[in-house]
Amino acid sequence: MRRVYDCFVNFTFLKRVPLAWLNLTHDRKRFVTSLGGVAFAVLLMFVFTGFMNALYDSQIQLLTKLNGEVIVINRLKNNMFVPASFARRRLYQVRAFEGVADAYPFYISEGAWKNPETGQSFSVRTLAFNLGDPVLSLPAVNEYIAELQLPNAALIDTRVRPEIGPTEAGIVSELADRRIRIVGTFELGTDFASGNGNLVMSDVNFLRYFADRGPEEDTRSFATADLGVVKLKPGATVEKVVAALQQALPADVLVLPRDGPDGFVTRERLYWQENTNIGFVFTLLTTMSFFVGIILVYQILYTDVADHWAEYATLKAMGYSNAYLLGVVLQEAGFLSVLGFLPGFAVSYLLYNAAAAATGLFFQMTSERVVNLFVATFVMCLVSGVVAVRKVQSTDPAEVFGG
Amino acid sequence: MGRRVSVAWMNLLHERTRLLVAIAGVAFAVLLIFMNLGFLGALTATTTNFYEQFNADLFLSSPETLEVSTTTAFPRERLYQAEGIPGVSRVMPLYSGYVLWRNPDPPHTSRAMFVWAYNPDDPVFLMPELETPSARRILQQPNVVFYDLRSRPDFGSSEIGTVTEAARRQVTIGGNYSLGGGFAADGTLIMSDQNFVRYLSPRPLDLVDTGLIQLTPGANPERVVRALEQALPADVDVYTKAGIMLRDQTYWISSTSIGFIFGLGVLVSFVVGIVIVYQILYTDIRDHLPEYATMKAMGYRNRYLFQIVLQEALLLAAMGYVPGLIVSLGLYELTLNATAGSLPVQMNLSRVGFVLVLTILMCSVSGLISVRKALSTDPAEVF
Repeated sequence: MRRVYDCFVNFTFLKRVPLAWLNLTHDRKRFVTSLGGVAFAVLLMFVFTGFMNALYDSQIQLLTKLNGEVIVINRLKNNMFVPASFARRRLYQVRAFEGVADAYPFYISEGAWKNPETGQSFSVRTLAFNLGDPVLSLPAVNEYIAELQLPNAALIDTRVRPEIGPTEAGIVSELADRRIRIVGTFELGTDFASGNGNLVMSDVNFLRYFADRGPEEDTRSFATADLGVVKLKPGATVEKVVAALQQALPADVLVLPRDGPDGFVTRERLYWQENTNIGFVFTLLTTMSFFVGIILVYQILYTDVADHWAEYATLKAMGYSNAYLLGVVLQEAGFLSVLGFLPGFAVSYLLYNAAAAATGLFFQMTSERVVNLFVATFVMCLVSGVVAVRKVQSTDPAEVFGG
Repeated sequence: MGRRVSVAWMNLLHERTRLLVAIAGVAFAVLLIFMNLGFLGALTATTTNFYEQFNADLFLSSPETLEVSTTTAFPRERLYQAEGIPGVSRVMPLYSGYVLWRNPDPPHTSRAMFVWAYNPDDPVFLMPELETPSARRILQQPNVVFYDLRSRPDFGSSEIGTVTEAARRQVTIGGNYSLGGGFAADGTLIMSDQNFVRYLSPRPLDLVDTGLIQLTPGANPERVVRALEQALPADVDVYTKAGIMLRDQTYWISSTSIGFIFGLGVLVSFVVGIVIVYQILYTDIRDHLPEYATMKAMGYRNRYLFQIVLQEALLLAAMGYVPGLIVSLGLYELTLNATAGSLPVQMNLSRVGFVLVLTILMCSVSGLISVRKALSTDPAEVF
């Protein structure tokens, strides 16, 4: 009965917490250094997973802003990089189907933008649509509809690369060797297919710039569209409409739901996952950061165990079990992971913002990613704790005091 | 000197396990730096390694061209003008563009394929497959192209004799070569300029994408570059081979953010390395504080203590660097195998040297930070 009671007391959380906590905070300066170590390991993991996610997320940013449940594209357009367009009359056909509220054409083209300050040209992506169609769910764009109706007027993305130059209303520069006037700004960000940034303009202006650019470039007209954005009536089932459209329309177009596992957005992300080494590179770097973290935490815990060697031996001589000592060290690991994670997370958050500003990529700190990395941090501290505690467990009290 | 080294050495060696962990820590920081630089180097190299196969000393390109796959064309007359400059032995126009290539195997999906085109009589490329007279004859046939064996498998069969469609015209694969397309192209073709006009209609041949210039033996490239720049109008830029490779690399590194990404990766790894070494040295100094104080009380100067800590730092740097280097060589190999050669990470001497300098710097900085405690020791206080 007495043993059961002992066990109970030993495993009561409250009684052991102070020892682990006091061991850690005993030397304030070292405690801060330890937290710094864990925080840096956390930062490393955040940086590398952050880059991987940013490179992937950026590719689908524009696609998630399309205001329609169903997307129509040319069958050849297997990613946004392929400049294949389809006959716009397919969208007229789409409008006749049950459940379809409207179908909007969306035009995309690359063109050379002249930096108004340096005079150097860089390619940017131009997005265009009929100003009467609510194609993009970007509130900033919809505010400027009246200004966009002017000839040679466009909006510029505030998250373009620095090479593009200043991004404010009132700038006058050149796009595809024609004068262009910026009447406002919106926020989107760059991806692999966007070159250095994005412009938004009306379809009529789009023709002014891209209808006839000389023999080396494709001519553009309203006969073809790059994306068809299909808005459904409330209550219509996406799968049913997609199936009906795909069956009825000729095979030159592909009809996809925007979201879902077989959707347009997922398809784009999968293309970049399968066709680049991004995943391999950053998974390797993140794994290595994890091991760096284990080493950092092990150093801390090991030093602590070494410093309190005699105390641990005394505890053992007094009859405390190995499980108790393990509990103390594991709690230290737990404290370290929580307290080290917070500053690591805070610094990473700032770094994400800085990196997003510098690259125009889309750095996203979702709660799922934060939780995943916290679990990784905890496991990291746990592994180091288990390794460090082995030394205490094999302690023979007689040896410590005898020597 | 010998005595001092042994103090540093003994301090480190005193606690074996901690030394091992310390070495592992430094090694991991070194490894992280090596991997970041390796990935950056490999990606940079893949953007431009096809230039090595160009049989030219100088290049002409429009100032509006940012990299070779999306060129702004310039008038062919510029090449004829260049031919008149002393030191130039031959000029060759090179055309390039994209065509949609239909996969000859089911499900027959089409993908954008990059095309190089030139007059088959010009020795534009160094690949041996293209140098034989028979290859030249095959290239001259209408609707026949050479197919890059390093194109992605999604383009389908590379077998000679395969018939499929390019830009909605029938096309036959007449030969193979091995080049690779850098960042912009998933696959490449080589065809004659006459075929280029057919497939990329309405492209005229008097607008050139890239101009290739061979020099007479013994000509001074820099002098010819200067003469060309003086003679030609501002609608073309003159590059050496290294210069045009640098232009393309700069474009890709900044436009894909990979320079920023891996640069930051190196920086963060470097800082983590500082933290690791600082932890070790700081603990060491703390543990030996009475000894350091004794030495000070005995009359040893601050400089002496300083040197001991710095030596410990350098010993750690050396001992961590070597395993870090060895493991990175292994991981480079693993990366090569895992990515089937598409990420050609390679160690080079300048990187080995650069990371060694970084490691020494990393350990010295931690040494300098941690030594402050030992220096500020007042012997009276410790005792």
